[in-house]
Amino acid sequence: MTGDDRPLLEGRGLTKRFGGLTAVNQVDFAVQPGEIVGLIGPNGSGKTTLFDCLSRLQRIDGGRVLFKGTDITRASPHRVARMGLSRTFQVIRVYRKMKVLDNMLVSRRWRGDSYLRVMRPSSAETVCRARELLEFLRIAPLADEPAGHLSGGQRRLLEIGMALMPNPDILLLDEATSGVNPTLIETIKDHIRTLNGQGKAFLLIEHNINFIADLCTRVYALNHGETMAEGTPREIMENEAVIDAYFGA
Amino acid sequence: MMARVWDRLARLGQGWGGLGLWWLLLAVLALYPYIGVTHLTLFLGSQVFVLVILASNWNLIGGMTGYVDFGHAVFFGIGAYVMGILVTKSPLLISPEWGFLQALPVSGAAAAVFALLIGLPTLRLKGPYFSIAMLGTFVAMREIVRVLRPLTGGGVGLNLPPVLNRLGDYYLMLVLMGLVVSVMWWIRRSEFGQSLIAIREDEIGAEMRGINTTLHKILAFMIAAFFTGVVGGFWAWQNTFIDPDVVFIETRTVEMVMMSMLGGLGTVWGPPLGAVVIYVLQTVVWGRLFGIHLLALGILMVLLVLFLPEGILGMSGRGGSTSLGRLLGRIRKRAEP
Repeated sequence: MTGDDRPLLEGRGLTKRFGGLTAVNQVDFAVQPGEIVGLIGPNGSGKTTLFDCLSRLQRIDGGRVLFKGTDITRASPHRVARMGLSRTFQVIRVYRKMKVLDNMLVSRRWRGDSYLRVMRPSSAETVCRARELLEFLRIAPLADEPAGHLSGGQRRLLEIGMALMPNPDILLLDEATSGVNPTLIETIKDHIRTLNGQGKAFLLIEHNINFIADLCTRVYALNHGETMAEGTPREIMENEAVIDAYFGA
Repeated sequence: MMARVWDRLARLGQGWGGLGLWWLLLAVLALYPYIGVTHLTLFLGSQVFVLVILASNWNLIGGMTGYVDFGHAVFFGIGAYVMGILVTKSPLLISPEWGFLQALPVSGAAAAVFALLIGLPTLRLKGPYFSIAMLGTFVAMREIVRVLRPLTGGGVGLNLPPVLNRLGDYYLMLVLMGLVVSVMWWIRRSEFGQSLIAIREDEIGAEMRGINTTLHKILAFMIAAFFTGVVGGFWAWQNTFIDPDVVFIETRTVEMVMMSMLGGLGTVWGPPLGAVVIYVLQTVVWGRLFGIHLLALGILMVLLVLFLPEGILGMSGRGGSTSLGRLLGRIRKRAEP
């Protein structure tokens, strides 16, 4: 990190242990505003755990997380979300019995409203934004369906929509393309490019290497909870250690 | 066709129309005492209103928020005892008739404060662990009340001044029921209510999307406890006698659960409907099954969980997730061209 361009999201020496297993070990990384960064690694290399630490779902055992220069190492998850960090989940989390539109509405930006506001129905602007995003993601015709009736791919899109509702500064997408058909993957790619054009940063966990190569400017490769390599997608794909980790030495 | 009717009814219930119809019903009930009724029917009326209030409140935490509270009657008991202690021991009350009204909000407030204290640790627990912790709280509170003899009269209980005002009781509970159900209707439409349902559906997801889940849960728990406490205070006054065994009985919680489930968990109009149905069943059917009415209650509960887990209002047109719902769906499909 040179100069005074402060990273948007930064981890310093992040460590997470589960009993005797160190899932994330002394990981340093940074995402600059407006950057798309990839996170790859074999199964069990600690990618999702790192996400969980960043979004504060997991307690952090060592190191610090800074978001917009603020230390969020001990902040509660809802506070981090309100600061402008959104994420999706490897195992999809939508509110199955709620309508698609209502899923979007309760994912709105909560920051800055007085508590009494929540005692009223969703505001017209919130409804308007939710409908626009559903339109953008091309799932608007499903607005009145319970989320539980959606297909896996549609739920992924809904989750991305819910993550976009608060107009976050950074989106953490955990395997956004798994279980999604190739056409839809292209759609998601387009969405990410459009949103990135609007200044949003992305941190992507992916097994789909083409997806990473097409979108990311920088990639971190994890193995056994440690950073094994960092560089452009091309550098990473040619890196001996990364190839060994994926295909076995 | 049927599905569309259900959809329209559901939308009516959540809209202002639902509240309008509710107030219309309240107005009719308010006129009821003027068409020649006895003290007994007024008493029975106020009892039904009490059940509606209890079911609606249990539904707020158990149905909407998804925290199945198997000890909710603890708030009823606290309300009853706060009323009993204030009326018999406090010098602050103006008169026996009016002091009761002074003590009523205190009963509710005491229950709400207790909900805050017990909710902070127990609402961290998930699923059955919360249910068991609340059942434990309920049983523990009964024993605490039994032991605190100087304050609560211990096992002997407390005698409250007998002031008979059936008409007053009827209207008081009518107003409270009207208020409680209107509050539930309001909550269900609000972002607060939607957030509670999001918590029920996926608490981690809700927290990760910026909802302060702890605050929401505690608030819902306190509201549910407040009105339950008020009703407990009222019950103590109306019954004129309380002891640990008549106040802290498990069936009171079981009734709340059943009424909510029968009507439809998480809906506004389900629990009141369930309360009325259960009350009618209790008086008309189980009155003749003297001695085995608890068995009948238990069997009904098992049948409910097996065949109608989403309740009467949960069997909406599309909902094919219950076996009865699927059966009805099949019949409907055959009936439709």
